[in-house]
Amino acid sequence: MKLKFNHPAPSEREATGPRYWRSLDELAETPAFKDWMEKEFPAGASMLESNDRRNFLKIMAASFGLAGMGLAGCRQQTRHLLPYSKQPDRVIPGVPVFYTSSLPGADEHIPLIVETHDARPTKVEGNPSYAVTGGATNVYAQSSILDLYDPDRAQRSSRADGAPVSKDQVSDAIKKLGADYGANGGAGLYFLADKNNSPTRAKTVQKLLARFPKATWAEFEALDQNNPERAAETLTGRRTRPIYNFAKATRVLALDSDFLHSEPGHLGYAKGFAKSRRIQNGADADPEKMIRLYAVESNFSLTGANADHRLRLATSAIPAFAALIAAEILAQRNAGVSASAIAALKQAGSALKVDAKWIAECAKDLVAHAGKSVVVAGAQLPVELHQLVLLMNMALGAVGSTVTLAGLPERPATASLADVAKAIDAGQVKTLFILNGNPAYNGPGDLAFTSKLNKVKDAKGQIFRYGYYGRQADETSAHSDIFIAGLHYLESWGDGLTWDGNHVPVQPMIMPLFEGFGELEVLGMLAGDGKPDAYAYVHDTFTTLNPGKSFEEWLAVGVAGSSFAAVGASAIPANRVADLAAAGAKFDLPAVDANHLEVRFVPGISWDGRFANNGWLQECPDPMTKLTWDNAIFVSPKLAKEKFPELLPEGTVMSKGPLGLLSPQARMNDNTFVTGREIARVAEITINGRTIKGPVSILPGLANYTLVVPVGYGRKRAGSIGNGVGFDAFPLVTSTGNACAATGAVMRLTGDTYRLANVQEHWSMEGRAIIREASVDDYKAHPEFVREMDVEAHSPPIYGKDKDLSPQDKATQIPRGASMYETPANNKPMPNVAVWNTPEGLEKFPTPQQWGMSIDLNTCLGCTACLVACQAENNIPIVGKDQVMRGREMHWIRLDRYFASGPTKDGAYADADQLPEDPQVNFQSVACQHCELAPCENVCPFMATLHDDSGLNTMAYNRCVGTKYCANNCPYKVRRFNFFDWNKREIGEFYKGPLGPDFYDTDASQLTRMQKNPDVTVRMRGVMEKCTYCVQRIEGAKINARVKARDSGDTKVPDGTLVPACAQACPTDSIVFGDVSDAKSAVSIAKSSDRNYAVLGYLNIRPRTTYLAKIRNPNPAITGPGEAEQPLSRQEYDTRYGHKTEGEAAKPAPAKASAAAGAAKS
Amino acid sequence: MSHAADHSAPDRPAVLAKVQPLKVLPRKPLVLNNRDFHWITEKICRIVEDPAPTWWWVCFFVSAGLATFLGFGLLWLVSTGVGVWGLRPPTFWGWDIVNFVWWIGIGHAGTLISAVLCLLRQKWRTAINRASEAMTIFAVMCAGIFPLFHVGRVWFAWWLFPIPVSQAIWPNFRSPLEWDVFAVSTYFTVSVLFWYMGMLPDLGTLRDRAVKTWRKYFYGALALGWRNSTRHWRNYEMAYLILAGLSTPLVLSVHTIVSFDFASAIVPGWHTTIFPPYFVAGAIFSGFAMVLTLVLPLRSMFKLHELITQHHIDCMCKIILATGSMVGYAYAMEFFIAWYSGNIYEAFTFINRAFGQYAWAYWIMISCNVISPQLFWFRGVRSNTALVFVICLFVNCGMWFERFVITVTSLANDFLPSAWGYYSPSITDIFTFFGTMGFFSMLFLLFVRFLPMLPIAEIKHVTQAADPHFHPDDAGHERSAHSAARPMAVAEGGHR
Repeated sequence: MKLKFNHPAPSEREATGPRYWRSLDELAETPAFKDWMEKEFPAGASMLESNDRRNFLKIMAASFGLAGMGLAGCRQQTRHLLPYSKQPDRVIPGVPVFYTSSLPGADEHIPLIVETHDARPTKVEGNPSYAVTGGATNVYAQSSILDLYDPDRAQRSSRADGAPVSKDQVSDAIKKLGADYGANGGAGLYFLADKNNSPTRAKTVQKLLARFPKATWAEFEALDQNNPERAAETLTGRRTRPIYNFAKATRVLALDSDFLHSEPGHLGYAKGFAKSRRIQNGADADPEKMIRLYAVESNFSLTGANADHRLRLATSAIPAFAALIAAEILAQRNAGVSASAIAALKQAGSALKVDAKWIAECAKDLVAHAGKSVVVAGAQLPVELHQLVLLMNMALGAVGSTVTLAGLPERPATASLADVAKAIDAGQVKTLFILNGNPAYNGPGDLAFTSKLNKVKDAKGQIFRYGYYGRQADETSAHSDIFIAGLHYLESWGDGLTWDGNHVPVQPMIMPLFEGFGELEVLGMLAGDGKPDAYAYVHDTFTTLNPGKSFEEWLAVGVAGSSFAAVGASAIPANRVADLAAAGAKFDLPAVDANHLEVRFVPGISWDGRFANNGWLQECPDPMTKLTWDNAIFVSPKLAKEKFPELLPEGTVMSKGPLGLLSPQARMNDNTFVTGREIARVAEITINGRTIKGPVSILPGLANYTLVVPVGYGRKRAGSIGNGVGFDAFPLVTSTGNACAATGAVMRLTGDTYRLANVQEHWSMEGRAIIREASVDDYKAHPEFVREMDVEAHSPPIYGKDKDLSPQDKATQIPRGASMYETPANNKPMPNVAVWNTPEGLEKFPTPQQWGMSIDLNTCLGCTACLVACQAENNIPIVGKDQVMRGREMHWIRLDRYFASGPTKDGAYADADQLPEDPQVNFQSVACQHCELAPCENVCPFMATLHDDSGLNTMAYNRCVGTKYCANNCPYKVRRFNFFDWNKREIGEFYKGPLGPDFYDTDASQLTRMQKNPDVTVRMRGVMEKCTYCVQRIEGAKINARVKARDSGDTKVPDGTLVPACAQACPTDSIVFGDVSDAKSAVSIAKSSDRNYAVLGYLNIRPRTTYLAKIRNPNPAITGPGEAEQPLSRQEYDTRYGHKTEGEAAKPAPAKASAAAGAAKS
Repeated sequence: MSHAADHSAPDRPAVLAKVQPLKVLPRKPLVLNNRDFHWITEKICRIVEDPAPTWWWVCFFVSAGLATFLGFGLLWLVSTGVGVWGLRPPTFWGWDIVNFVWWIGIGHAGTLISAVLCLLRQKWRTAINRASEAMTIFAVMCAGIFPLFHVGRVWFAWWLFPIPVSQAIWPNFRSPLEWDVFAVSTYFTVSVLFWYMGMLPDLGTLRDRAVKTWRKYFYGALALGWRNSTRHWRNYEMAYLILAGLSTPLVLSVHTIVSFDFASAIVPGWHTTIFPPYFVAGAIFSGFAMVLTLVLPLRSMFKLHELITQHHIDCMCKIILATGSMVGYAYAMEFFIAWYSGNIYEAFTFINRAFGQYAWAYWIMISCNVISPQLFWFRGVRSNTALVFVICLFVNCGMWFERFVITVTSLANDFLPSAWGYYSPSITDIFTFFGTMGFFSMLFLLFVRFLPMLPIAEIKHVTQAADPHFHPDDAGHERSAHSAARPMAVAEGGHR
């Protein structure tokens, strides 16, 4: 209500008295003045009066309306967080839940623990409850999680025309199969399955075969590894498996065997091997106790890489070699073998030209350590050879100590792929049911299985196919009439046996992401079970195998005891040697020379092609060749020099020596990669009219005339990742004879070239003290040798009285560097909190733990599991072949591989600056070293990489703008830059930028993002990233410790409870992580070894990751080119930089020099 | 000047006849043919006022076309990612930083000529200082593009400035890149001020001569009300001197700090104390070469032979010779120190530079930078303009390769051989670099077209006509060219 201010009427006195006025307007009493006076306040004070409240509200409403309309576009999309209305047990949002499971395999299941976040599996770890592997995993286990979320996996069952088929229709089709074949007992019904050692599956198959007694059950593995068992079976009369115990062994001879890496049981073997190789200090070094590995092989396997003596020999010559060494061993051991049999063995191997002294000394060494020595042969070698190996082991007293003979559960004999092919040719196959495997791709070339499948179809037969990959991503599925979509092992129930027979579960972690069947369900249906329940099957098997044990506990622990029967040594009749010797033909020596080459097939990174669509694996560099995204035909440098000189690297002035000015010692080694990419020549290999074509790469260390060809590549239908990666070598594989090596091959270079993506462009360490090594004898004599190498031998990073302090003291107590900037001391409270710096304060607020890492080069085998584990844990993207060729791979761990070819014992500098024929190899896994005086930190203008109070070199992705200066200044070159939006763009679309499709918008992205670890940021383009020591795990452990500590102040994370992903995966426990400020922690103990050194320590950057030098254990009695008392890289270092240890410098060069040198050159 | 006193005066004290003044070598005139003020004004202003010659249009369109490469290159880079460049581990800096340092080096001559030579009273600088300052500014602009855009997320580059924002994170003052930000931006600011300030009297002249309206406004606005008063001149000269004083340390500091990008890193081949003087010498070297590269064609196109004389060219060639030899000394000294240090990583880096996979780049550098300027010892070479131009092109090229050798070869083969790699640029790198060249020439052509290319007022200072004791009939005597002329008189030519 508007109030009128009424001016009071003038009083009489005022009216009569003299009149005062303030303005003429007032005097005149104009209406305008009166109106103005009416208002309580003068002009401007009541502007709003012109608008009444109604008007005001109208305007306000209108402006609100306008504002609302305009702002609606600025609102973020509303999303609702729905908490559980009823919280499930044991599920705490944000806290991962772990379940046990196992990775299925043909011969062994690897026990696992699977990390799940909100019920989606994100990471796989080895099950530490299984003592044999102790929580180790390999690359296949680590990367298997990615297959679960593979966008190319089969999402529906389908008919031949690709039309989807429902689960019910599939059941009906299987029921119909039962009805069709029920009457005739299954005649014409053929099953072709992969191998799997699951007892439940075996039982279900038996049920199935009981229903269809006339049906044929065939099993096929492209890379069969059962010859040792077949050999043992012929000797013991029952299914027997030789299982090795390398922890007890001190002398090992490996015959073309890669027991440390690619053969079943390798995780346990690697652990045992590392155990007998580990040394703490020089005082403990003992060549007698330390394992000594002799390897004879054609390929350069990781086992050969870790051998102390390695003899290059064609695979086809291995049987002859075995005969020779067996003759030596049997003769020396007097094992009751007749002299004539020994002579016959010698005769069998007599054609082989090989260093007789090597054989004699090796045999002598094995015999001298009888009971602790063992002979291992590659699983691909012929059965007769394995029989001989078993007999050798018996003679060496190994059976019962270093070799255990385990009786496997009896299983009915199965047919082979060749049998099925024969039946198809004979027109007997009416219905072919293919379970898993991929014979259309990896069947032997001579069977041409694809044409056989067509033959089945032509004959109006029916092909059922059960598999994980559908028609678009699997060559066999593409040929099926009915494709039944399978489930991932993390979605289905099952069980299996470890290599030594422990019963392990396969547990589902997640409801099937797509419509499909578990393998046991399909088999159950085939066996006539209307409502197959895999869980019940597994439960049933468990109670049968482990009577009286709790099923729930089994699921919780993940391992039950071994069910293998013990087989005594007496089971092997010693007199079999004579038979073997008599069958001398088996040890024949095919001609292998430059015109009759041998081809050795080795498993590729995708094994037999089954993991071809796994990006982590495809981008995982092969440990030896460092190739990614491709296989190649690997040839020896000798073959290249002799026959294909155009393959040899051109070299630079640096490697040739400008005008002879550079001494041979100062020259750089030949570099194949003068253009940054490996440009390989393409060649054709022909055996018996079958030809394959692929790029050629020179790999040092191969047998002279052996071509090594990894299989499992060149798949035409594998999915978006695996299509067309590499070339297919299976056409050369035959179903008869030695499936892993073929002889009589001819190689011819075509005019084409091909680019290979090699992640390491330089093979030589150039005499630098990066990997420091010594022979065990030298180490014993000079335990301080690591300190006398490299530049810091003259200027240790820490001077004066403190230079001999323990690493943890150095890390925490010495003022850090002579920097003009004050670096906080890590063992003191924060400088600004004075009250903490009191005894009570320090008790209440303990100083942070100081994280550090130790990597034992002596036990690192180079298996690359750490690299893939890190990729899985830290959401590391793959970048594709093109980007790898540009050096932009993102792996936080780089596994460096160096070939060493120093001067040989005779003083000759044989192939030191050319590709070496017979090198030693070293591996070193290099990730961020978390330098205390990190050179990356001070150069970042944005303060994006900083040190934290527990010694971590941290990386703030949000703050990183990407000057890349830190990466330049990192001496280890371990920082990785996101050159593109690896996650947002798909491989092949990077260069299109915003014009390319956004991967986040696709359905595939919905699937792949489920794998991501929610505790780790997914990095965008333009930021730097690197190893964080798994900071998410550190923080998790600290939170746990604080929760547990409550008010006690005891917030330290106990040693051993905190493991980064790499250390967790490592099969040999080479990587140790923990608190370096605690002298009792495992990492401090490791670092207190006298082998401990920091790579490039002279820079005074004080890395928290340090290495333990490698110790080799060569046999002093074996001499000759390539055999030296000091490791070759050490000799190269000594020669080029002259930092000899005292004893070494005084030693004169051995006298017999020139003769051997002449031999080496000729 | 007393020695120029008239000997024929009848009432001179007799004693003076006995005094024999010291024989002073004649100085070379800085403007030939005794040109008067008006001629100079006409000559220089006509360049701006006459219609653009055909060659200008051709050059302008070519360089503008080239400049679009820069635009597209940067657009693709920012929208897609740094991966479109050829950078690859371990060479995280490639052509981007090479180009940055190269351009920054070129940007040195201008301020050196205008500031250092001004303070050192080198009068011959006047003819070339304007153009070289413009070159400096444009070169620094081109240089600035690279460090700005080579980052992964350029939209956050403003974090480099110490702005108190809510993140409460300061930039890292320990990083040489942060020093770069301050060094380069200060240098750019001061250079622009210096250039613009120096131009004021000439802009006044242009304004006063302008006939078309837009020119009146354009130059009127730019001239900031220059009225040619004594007070203006006084302030102007004071300011000019102050800015010269400010710029002089900047000439040394900028490239010193740019060299810290390398010298304060630990990469072998970068981590050397020789870098600051070596970089500054190299910068002056390349800057002068670039000045000659630009000025020689303009001189012949605009017929400026009387203003930019052989004497000027001689002086610049000598500076190139001196700095080129310093650079050569630095190359030798790097090798010596690498050997003398006993550090195997350092030693390897330098042997590898000369004989490794990048040896081609190293020998291009040596032949262009060390060998080719040695020809300037010969007067005949210095007076052969075409040869001077070619050698200057060699020097420009050689200095680019010097930066390439330092940046790339050190990174490509550093500590761990497993991480070695071979860097080569992508097509985008190449296009972007040539795009900056187009951008630079475009700006320079615009400068030539719209601003006085030579300092009118300053040249008048150094003419014989500016000498108050000068008499035209005295022509037989060589007059000192550095006479202190009164500014009023000098600028008179602007008011006709």
